[in-house]
Amino acid sequence: MAELTSFSYRPGISLIHKIDARFKLLFIVIIGLSSLEASPSGVLLLFLFVVYGLARIGISLWQVARDLSFFIFFLAFVFAIRAFSAGGAVFINIFGMSLTYDGLIEGSLVCLRIVLMILLGLLFTSTTRTAEVKAAIDWILRPLPFISGGRVSTMTGLMMRFIPVILEQARETASAQKARSIENRKNPIYRMVKFSVPLIERIFYNAGRISMAMEARCYSDIRTGQKLSSKINDWISLLVIISICIISVLYL
Amino acid sequence: MNIIEIKELSHMFSNGTLALDNIDLSVKQGEFIVIAGPNGSGKTTLLRHLNGLLFPTGGIVLVDGVSVSEDPVRARRIVGMVFQDSDTQIIGETVCEDVAFGPENLCLDRKEIEQRISDVLRITGLTCLADAKPHLLSGGEKRRLAIAGVLAMKPEVLAFDEPFSNLDHPGTKQVLKQIIELHKRGRTIIITTHDLEKVIAHANRLIIMTDGKIARAGSPEQIISDTEMFGIKEPYFSRMGLGMISWLS
Repeated sequence: MAELTSFSYRPGISLIHKIDARFKLLFIVIIGLSSLEASPSGVLLLFLFVVYGLARIGISLWQVARDLSFFIFFLAFVFAIRAFSAGGAVFINIFGMSLTYDGLIEGSLVCLRIVLMILLGLLFTSTTRTAEVKAAIDWILRPLPFISGGRVSTMTGLMMRFIPVILEQARETASAQKARSIENRKNPIYRMVKFSVPLIERIFYNAGRISMAMEARCYSDIRTGQKLSSKINDWISLLVIISICIISVLYL
Repeated sequence: MNIIEIKELSHMFSNGTLALDNIDLSVKQGEFIVIAGPNGSGKTTLLRHLNGLLFPTGGIVLVDGVSVSEDPVRARRIVGMVFQDSDTQIIGETVCEDVAFGPENLCLDRKEIEQRISDVLRITGLTCLADAKPHLLSGGEKRRLAIAGVLAMKPEVLAFDEPFSNLDHPGTKQVLKQIIELHKRGRTIIITTHDLEKVIAHANRLIIMTDGKIARAGSPEQIISDTEMFGIKEPYFSRMGLGMISWLS
């Protein structure tokens, strides 16, 4: 039985599950933009709000942290660049480079914003069926000329659907290599090549098989779509989100 | 009446491998056919020609009288294909959503889609798992979901590519019962396998393939004793001279 990562849809009946996918996409945009304008305490408020949302739908933060462990290196890199490049009062000197107080705050803020956006994406994918995402993207892109809303929405939907599968394959490849003592090889480039080449090959191979299976079931751009309808709860949620964003940007 | 007619079918892959070599075969409506052969004998390639996933490089495949090359979408509606690896056939986030994928592609209205979902989940015994995530199902349940996804498109012919591979004993039993039930309901069944033991007792016809050719074709009773010479294990009951015994009995 496959072990799933956090980044997959979790069937449920929570309020977040019931919100129209178009509103959820709007929330991501509003919160994302607000986080760019908000002060550190404002970003923290948004972060806590999203964490509360995750807790409401029963996602274990420990599981999320474990799934994102590979991401820590990227965050550490971003933090280090920010922390060492900002001016201000020096906190400590390391190998001739100055780590400043302002840099520490700025680095933490950037990392917090990145984590906030990841958690927002997680909240979205965990509570929104792929079919709803497809319908929402199709609705958003419909007025735009020269863009096939149906095709773009299907590509997005498939990407969302198969991210957990790709993560699972990455985990399997890593485990298979650990079983053959890859850790004894200290060269990170060698390890990266040995990990990524078979993984990418496998992803492409599976992508070919999936497209064949879709073709066998008469897949095309023209198909019966999901019906979307906004309800009073969607509008109330929008008001709540806007209020929180205003507080985080203007009052904190 | 022949639902499928294959005339002088050949298929050569782009690397020059001749996968199918001058195949002639007709399938009558309501037949239960087992195509057996060792790995690389061309079984899967042949199956993929039946619903236009591959097109002939020579010869013709007719489904219900119309060439598959001319109208592959029609062929896909008539011939439903269940792949060897269920994981790559399952598209939906939930069991229900996956079953809906085919009918949605046929542009049916939502009410009809809901009706078909309900019907096939009942037939395949998956009603209680309607909202489950496909990737958390057991091997047998996944295979039944793959069958349900195809059944929802109401095909007349069901083509199964190695339906028992990677299944445990209960999973194999579930899938075999399902296939037999579908045949009883009037569906034409075509199965490729290298493991005859499980299914041959239920088949009307056995076709043995080797090197892209049909080496033997006939009733299972007549040719089952020839299987070993083509690298296919002869079922135990046949070797013991016990006649055809269902694997379910």
